[in-house]
Amino acid sequence: MKKVKRIIPKKIGLDAWSKQFQDFPDETIKKYRYYNNNEWGVYLSPPATFMVYGLRELKRLKFDNSFESLRMWGFVFNETERLFRARQINKKIIATMGDLGIVPILVLSFPDCVPFYPECLWWTPFFKESTELLDTASKLGTPEATCFSRVVVSAFHKRSYFPKPDLIIASTGASCDDYSCVMQVVEDMGYEIMWVEIPYRKNPEFMLIKPKIQELEKTEQGFSYPKVIEEYLVKEYHRIWERLFKLTGVNNPHRLVETIKKVNRLRSLVAEIKTLNARAEVAPLPGLEMMTIEFGNLYGYADFDEWLDIIQMIHALVKNRVEKGVGVLKKDAIPIAWITPSADPYLLNLVEEIGCRIVETEYVINQAMVKIEEDIEPIRALARSFINGSLIGSPAERVKNIKERIAKKEIRGVLITNMLGASHCAMETRIMERLLSDVPVLSLDVPAPFGITQQIKTRLEAFVETIR
Amino acid sequence: MELNQTESQKLPTDLIGYTCSYIPVELLSATGLRPYRLLHGALGLSQKGEQLVRVDACPLVKSNLGFILENQKNFACIIGSTGCDMSRRFLEVIRLMTVIPVYIFNNPRTQNFDIYSNEIDLMVKELEQFFHRRFDRGLIQRECERWEKVRSILRQVDARRRANPSTLSTKTFHNLVSHYYQGDIEKIKIDLPDEMSYKPRVYLIGSPISYEAEPIIELLEKRLRICGDFNCGLSRGIYINLQEKTIDGLKKAYYYQPACIFKRPNKSYYEWIQREITETKSTGVIVYVLDYCDNFDFEVFKMEKRINLPILKLKSDFSFQNMSQLKVRIDAFIEVLGSLRAGIV
Repeated sequence: MKKVKRIIPKKIGLDAWSKQFQDFPDETIKKYRYYNNNEWGVYLSPPATFMVYGLRELKRLKFDNSFESLRMWGFVFNETERLFRARQINKKIIATMGDLGIVPILVLSFPDCVPFYPECLWWTPFFKESTELLDTASKLGTPEATCFSRVVVSAFHKRSYFPKPDLIIASTGASCDDYSCVMQVVEDMGYEIMWVEIPYRKNPEFMLIKPKIQELEKTEQGFSYPKVIEEYLVKEYHRIWERLFKLTGVNNPHRLVETIKKVNRLRSLVAEIKTLNARAEVAPLPGLEMMTIEFGNLYGYADFDEWLDIIQMIHALVKNRVEKGVGVLKKDAIPIAWITPSADPYLLNLVEEIGCRIVETEYVINQAMVKIEEDIEPIRALARSFINGSLIGSPAERVKNIKERIAKKEIRGVLITNMLGASHCAMETRIMERLLSDVPVLSLDVPAPFGITQQIKTRLEAFVETIR
Repeated sequence: MELNQTESQKLPTDLIGYTCSYIPVELLSATGLRPYRLLHGALGLSQKGEQLVRVDACPLVKSNLGFILENQKNFACIIGSTGCDMSRRFLEVIRLMTVIPVYIFNNPRTQNFDIYSNEIDLMVKELEQFFHRRFDRGLIQRECERWEKVRSILRQVDARRRANPSTLSTKTFHNLVSHYYQGDIEKIKIDLPDEMSYKPRVYLIGSPISYEAEPIIELLEKRLRICGDFNCGLSRGIYINLQEKTIDGLKKAYYYQPACIFKRPNKSYYEWIQREITETKSTGVIVYVLDYCDNFDFEVFKMEKRINLPILKLKSDFSFQNMSQLKVRIDAFIEVLGSLRAGIV
């Protein structure tokens, strides 16, 4: 390990990673295991292994060269295997769909229950450089001009990306239409679904009369909402709790308290990593790794404890790099904000290659980034956490943080990535462009796999020239 | 079709806009204003709306946006719901880009009467305070009676359309029912010309039918008879089954109306249309889908499987550039219906 820590931070490709991997002793590789299993839980391997398994885009991508990042990628790419193993050892597999961040906390509070988000498969066609999942979704009747999350339809159809879930909890309501429709198609395939309502946050601006102060609440991030929204969610989460109780035969609210503490530990580590990354003179981690870290907040990639351990390790790495003033991007990289995650990971590499640095993000998972209150009734705390959600409020609320940082001159440009036909992209992007007009804003449609053309590169370069 | 200045001036200035079938029109009307459902669908308006949203937004939403931008002064406020996502976000755009007050009502997508009921109570409170009116039992009863009377007339008219042979065209019905959605209910009359038809009977489903949809309806009815539908903008709004003329009665009637396709699960939508298709003795189904309308676009595949009749899927962005192509497709559809009737298919 000592040898690894002396490595100068930089972004490397697969060949370099494979060479570097040879230096790791066997005991290091065997040390890290998912589900803490000694027999088959090892997940460390060079990224080239996953390229051979089909993730062809990896040969084009550049990764952080730290052991910590390698561990992270090994763990993330291993998720499908992990879910099937979970089934083999009689864990209950719970598909949580649509809410992005809260329902898994309830699931994790029940013994031997593993939550996962099928929608996180939306990166798969890009990593694979294959339109197979998208084509299958089209054959199954999903329209082409919709969010890439439609691959979920294919995944449920093919039954090879995750085992048949013991329970599917699908959240819908004031959410995007695309995914609500995807979930309906999944139900039509014969899967039983527990539907959960997501209410609209309803900022007082969207009321006719200014409400009395006692009727309003405010989230940690300063979003106002009528108290009643909380009640709607509390009832829905109680329903989920009852259903999980029925499934497992266990009803132990203390476990929820413990899970919230653990989730908060993860969320605060990730928040610190984000802050350190944004404030450091040199970016200690690349944007692609950072995005993967942020999305881990949703459910810990189906092994929460191991993921928490990985993040603790990455946190130490980032801290160390910041103290030493080293990192992976140039000092003069231009700070930008990124709104809506890109389904194509290559885009994150590309943006950094042309001289940008991502210092603020709004990846539609704000609800998974905030701290959950620990001094109130836990289910209510979950409801209050969810109310911070990215997609249940207005675009003005979504860009509030970014706007504040633009005012402080910490952000010089904004990149918005869209999916053609996705309901929130179609309706929010132009408004967000107006709201952020103090700096140049580039709005891009993420093309289908392997579709990043010279035209997109030229647009990005022009954007960088404008903000440089 | 874009409203010109003269038409715009004709629009009354006492409108309360609304966007969804789950918003009780009686409550809007109790404010003393004229409820005006936002159902505009014209290319010019749509292009105007594109100044504020992307081109891949729902054409109806874009058109409504264009219409609102042109007629801001006519609306005292707009009430919308969390129905489909773009429709909800449309209200956010209005709030941010105009001075029109908006109210967004949480219309649950899942089976959750409690949320619906509570949201109606909240909306009533807002409307009462904003318009300085008390929605007492008498007022609500009067509004219920007024609107129920109109719906009853429209149901009688619709019965003629549904009859076999059908004696009223959907074109005429559309013109009439538009007055209901525009709150201009005095213009609704029962004496309409006889338009008996023996053309092949088809049932229409899909995205909302806009006020400007006459050319497409006319084109379809040149060789077909649309004898029933389940579309916003046509007969959806008139099948509200109001048992009790109170706010509680309105809640039940509107919540338990024939379900919108966006409800989860959407099983009862299919149960309703299947019953309707049988009752109207339709021999084919036309699915009218607006571009980027996920709620219907995702369902066409299922419709083809579940509805055991020939289906014609029409996509629209409100432009009429593809009229010739449409004619050919309609002709081909009629041939399929004919072959089916002759037992060839």
